[in-house]
Amino acid sequence: MGAEKKTNEILYFALRNGKLKIGLVIVFIFVAIAIFGPLFSKYPLNEFVAGGPNPPSADYFMGTTAYGQDVFAQFVYGLRSTFIVGIVGGGIATMLGMLIGFLGGYKGGWLDEFLNGITNIILVIPTFALLLIMVAYLKLRGVVLESIFIGLTCWPWAARAIRAQTFSLVSREFVDLAKLSGMGTLKIIFGEIAPNMMSYLFMTFILQFGGAILNAATLDFIGLGPTQGASLGLMMNWATIGSALLLGYWWWFVPPGLAITAIVGALYIMNVGLDEVFNPKLREM
Amino acid sequence: MRKIVLAVLSILIMAGFVMSCTPAAAEAPAPAAEEPAAEEPAAEEAAAAEAPATVDYPREETLYTMGKQWGPPTSWNPMQQGSYAMGTIGLCYETLFLYNPLTDEYIPWIAESGEWLDDTTYQLKIKKGVTFSDGEALTADDVKFTFEMGKNFKSAFYSELWAWLTSIEKVDDYTLTLTFSSPEYQKWATYIYTVAILPEHIWSTLTEEQAITGANQPPLGSGPYLYEAADESKVVWKRNDNWWGIKEMGLTMAPKYIIDIANISNNAALGMVLQGQVDLDNNYLPGIASVINGGYGITTYFPEPPYMLSGNTAWLVMNLKKAPMDDAAFRRAVAYAIKVEDIVNKDYGNIVLPANPTGLLPVWDKFVDQAVVDELGFSYDPAKAKKILADAGYKDVDGDGFVETPDGSKIALEIGCPNGWSDWMVAIQIISQSLKEVGINVEPVYPDYSALTAGLYGGDFDMVINNDVQISNTVWAYYNFIFYHPIKEQMISGTGNYGRYENQEVFDLVDQLDATPIDDIEGMKAIISKIQKIQLTDLPMIPLWYNGVWSQVSNAYWTNWPSSVEGAPKYLPATWNGYWNMGAVLMLSELQSTAAE
Amino acid sequence: MKRYFTRKVLIYLLTFFIAVTIDWMIPRFMPGDPVLNMLAKAGSVHAEAQEVMYGYLTTAFGLDLPIWQQYFNFWKALFHGDLGVSVLQFPRPVADVIKSAIPYDLLLLIPSIVLSWIAGNKFGAFAARSKKLDNTILPVGYILTATPYMWLGILLGWVFAIILKIFPISGAFSYALKPAFTWTFIKSVLQHWFLPFASLFIVQFGGWAIGMRNMIIYELEADYAHYLEALGAPKRLIRKYAYNNALLPQLSGLALKLGVIVAGAMSTEIVFSYPGIGYLILMAIQNSDYFLLQGCFLFIIIGVLLANFIIDIVFILVDPRTRLGMQGGS
Repeated sequence: MGAEKKTNEILYFALRNGKLKIGLVIVFIFVAIAIFGPLFSKYPLNEFVAGGPNPPSADYFMGTTAYGQDVFAQFVYGLRSTFIVGIVGGGIATMLGMLIGFLGGYKGGWLDEFLNGITNIILVIPTFALLLIMVAYLKLRGVVLESIFIGLTCWPWAARAIRAQTFSLVSREFVDLAKLSGMGTLKIIFGEIAPNMMSYLFMTFILQFGGAILNAATLDFIGLGPTQGASLGLMMNWATIGSALLLGYWWWFVPPGLAITAIVGALYIMNVGLDEVFNPKLREM
Repeated sequence: MRKIVLAVLSILIMAGFVMSCTPAAAEAPAPAAEEPAAEEPAAEEAAAAEAPATVDYPREETLYTMGKQWGPPTSWNPMQQGSYAMGTIGLCYETLFLYNPLTDEYIPWIAESGEWLDDTTYQLKIKKGVTFSDGEALTADDVKFTFEMGKNFKSAFYSELWAWLTSIEKVDDYTLTLTFSSPEYQKWATYIYTVAILPEHIWSTLTEEQAITGANQPPLGSGPYLYEAADESKVVWKRNDNWWGIKEMGLTMAPKYIIDIANISNNAALGMVLQGQVDLDNNYLPGIASVINGGYGITTYFPEPPYMLSGNTAWLVMNLKKAPMDDAAFRRAVAYAIKVEDIVNKDYGNIVLPANPTGLLPVWDKFVDQAVVDELGFSYDPAKAKKILADAGYKDVDGDGFVETPDGSKIALEIGCPNGWSDWMVAIQIISQSLKEVGINVEPVYPDYSALTAGLYGGDFDMVINNDVQISNTVWAYYNFIFYHPIKEQMISGTGNYGRYENQEVFDLVDQLDATPIDDIEGMKAIISKIQKIQLTDLPMIPLWYNGVWSQVSNAYWTNWPSSVEGAPKYLPATWNGYWNMGAVLMLSELQSTAAE
Repeated sequence: MKRYFTRKVLIYLLTFFIAVTIDWMIPRFMPGDPVLNMLAKAGSVHAEAQEVMYGYLTTAFGLDLPIWQQYFNFWKALFHGDLGVSVLQFPRPVADVIKSAIPYDLLLLIPSIVLSWIAGNKFGAFAARSKKLDNTILPVGYILTATPYMWLGILLGWVFAIILKIFPISGAFSYALKPAFTWTFIKSVLQHWFLPFASLFIVQFGGWAIGMRNMIIYELEADYAHYLEALGAPKRLIRKYAYNNALLPQLSGLALKLGVIVAGAMSTEIVFSYPGIGYLILMAIQNSDYFLLQGCFLFIIIGVLLANFIIDIVFILVDPRTRLGMQGGS
């Protein structure tokens, strides 16, 4: 009964929270574009359909690249990639972060030291180094592969945060109780500790989601991104190579960056909203 | 409140930084005593942030170049052909002759003359009065020393010369006789304008390691410019007002300083060109065609498409050791299927030309046997490509839209170019698209540069775009590239024939061409015609388009640039290694400063 | 205290060892042959001379030795500051190349990190719990941190260099100058420094401001704050406590974000062709100069480790809990 009441309360505040609403609306608009946009795309992705650069028009909603590719098609498919990177990359990073954070925080001792060591190393080596080797070996790289890579290298921050939270929970009575009752480690972690920091984990995921998108944009920009399909970072990369702004092709350069900024910014704003919803103390008075 | 103050303060500090960097700050008194007080520069001059009154190299006396240097200049060693800093050969070190491909002329430079006395003896006369910049005379001893370095140091780039050069004898201080075991006229004609003559009195003490791999900084040569300075971003050459050529050849170089800027991003490079900060830019700048007539004062060699001179051929290299590329009919179908026109228009914006079926550059038009081309040449014709495929037994058996080989196995090929080579990346997308249209399944791939070259050299690839052979004095170089022999395990760079095409008949013809005197045009044509017949029948590689001698010049500070326009100088307007000695150095003597007017 | 330090140092050494080992693998595990690569770049050189050169350079790079010995030699050379020879900038030693890039990195990174951290924290604290600011300026902060560095950089470059012509678009100082300790030169350096600095500063600033705003709100809702309030302590004092408490997590946040910041600096340097390590890395990638790449990464590893170490020490100095923890030897 109590749980239900709490859920209702959260929903109530969630619906009243302006930040959360604004963030959600923006993200949903972009999700909708990513899902339905390709249906409205008149031209196949990346094909050289026009003779050269064209400004936005009824034929080309968002203009064409200097090579005559339809920017709208690249944009909508690029948005899909962006969300894939966010979900897969952010998801893997959060999961790894949880695994390592929970284990380290709960078990402590040498295991914690060991996991901490790994975390430190990943924090310290430029993850680029690993990516470079990968890039050199793979002639074809897709968005999913890039997402997995980002997920595998971006978890340390989450691991540290979750470990700290776990630490503070481990000494609580309910954990002691569970231990006394002879529950296994995993069961305690996922049955007792995790539910108590669900909101925190969710927010961690959102931050990782945004982080993965920005990371992918950087990789794409320096030419280590996917070799197939489209992504917003690749669009920026090609637009920069083609000196789009200098030559006046703003429609090629501006939208991808703006979309990334809007999506990630909206996610961050949503996160603050969520924080206020979950923590009654933070609600605006 | 204190926090508010602090926050505001920290923002103000930042704002202050902004102010201190804007032109307003130029009013600040010049602190250094020995410096003349900085004048208030004109608003937009200071805005460009490049023209304070106290610069070391006055703008109107300086020629700014860009496009050769990838990364900071680090070597001034003329033995390092690919990596020496811009101008090392040409501005600082000089060669016996210059060769101008546009006029097909060998211009005596250090040499007075050079002639074949008979099939194995070459007599070389040196100009009297040539000096190094330290005042020492350049004599036959220096020339002999330079060439003999190739005999003593096997890692010198011209050591190969000694496989057919027997001896080099000094007759007198200005005359030398070279004796060859076999006359490779064509190859020798390349050496006379690519080997820089070194000062014996400096280089004779160097070990092989020092001579070949040393940085040689600062360099000392005989050329019209002296090494002035270098840092991470540039190399600065200063005119040598005591250069021997002023007296001996009556040439005066116009720019007092030449500053070569290390390459920066396309975006920034184009920005600098548009603002007139770079006078001669040899980068490939996408979209340049749209600014040529845009009122920026930017011009190119041709005022109309293709704007750029053609500098090398982009070849589709196919692995002939792999099916189905081992089938000449398949290769022919590929040649007919590729829509080069799309590459020229959409990828390059019309700044390149589609290649002749022989692949020979426009400067070698006279060597194209039109009868052979008419009979065996190809052009974009997808219907024809499909027909050739069908006739040769390539059919779509499994109904996936792509043909299978005559024996029924699937075809799934890759076409590669190095990751990051943007114009080529687009080109192979277009090629893949047009090959798919005729039913050939080829996917574009963009491996890392070293992975790609390793595959190419080792024979582990399907299709690759390559342009390893450049414009030069001899068409033989092109055929040596296409039909390089003998075939080795590793066909490293400097060889060619990466697809491993084997045909002794054509190999012999290529060798025969090498041994034909450079002025025996008819003899050359006869051999070349036979080669072209085989080339166009077997199509070991497919010529696609001509990459340009990318060159865009600003007329803000310097004018009278090389151009196709009537009366304008006719030189290759390029600063790349090997181009100064292909006549570009003469461009400097014809430039005119706008300040002088 | 001593035990704590020994442990910390040991952990750092171990991290260093493993990170450097991974770094060592880069040029060796890449497909292709660095020497062949280099020769390919040399262009028109005749094949016969290349074969001689090949053997010659392979020995020079030490690539003909068994792999374990290469690894051993690498460590030995490392302690002599010898990182090998750059392929791209042959025959310049990698250590030399990096040395000339470091000043530009420090010039860019240290002010942008320190200033954005201080200014961001101050601003975040100032905006927290002020409804107006929270709903107007802070969203701007979110947008700023969400902006891809290079995209912002290119936009800034376009507006300020191309359209307004206030700042130069590339390089570290005017090409018409020789490096010298003169006002003209220093001014030129500052002018070229400003845009890359600004784009780094702006993005980081937003992040810290948001972080601090959230921390302050948490702190103000903590029990001790309410207790102080009940006691009638002035609001200013409570906020001061809250601010001081919030600074520590922000400091550890800095340690965690250093890697990201370095990557961000890289794309900014690329956009403005600013000759720091980031720009070198791009050049090295584009030219397959894995020895240079290895050196650059080594520099980043050392830099990040050092910065972490400094932050650790600052922690000990300012945080009584850590000091306590050390005595407990946790």
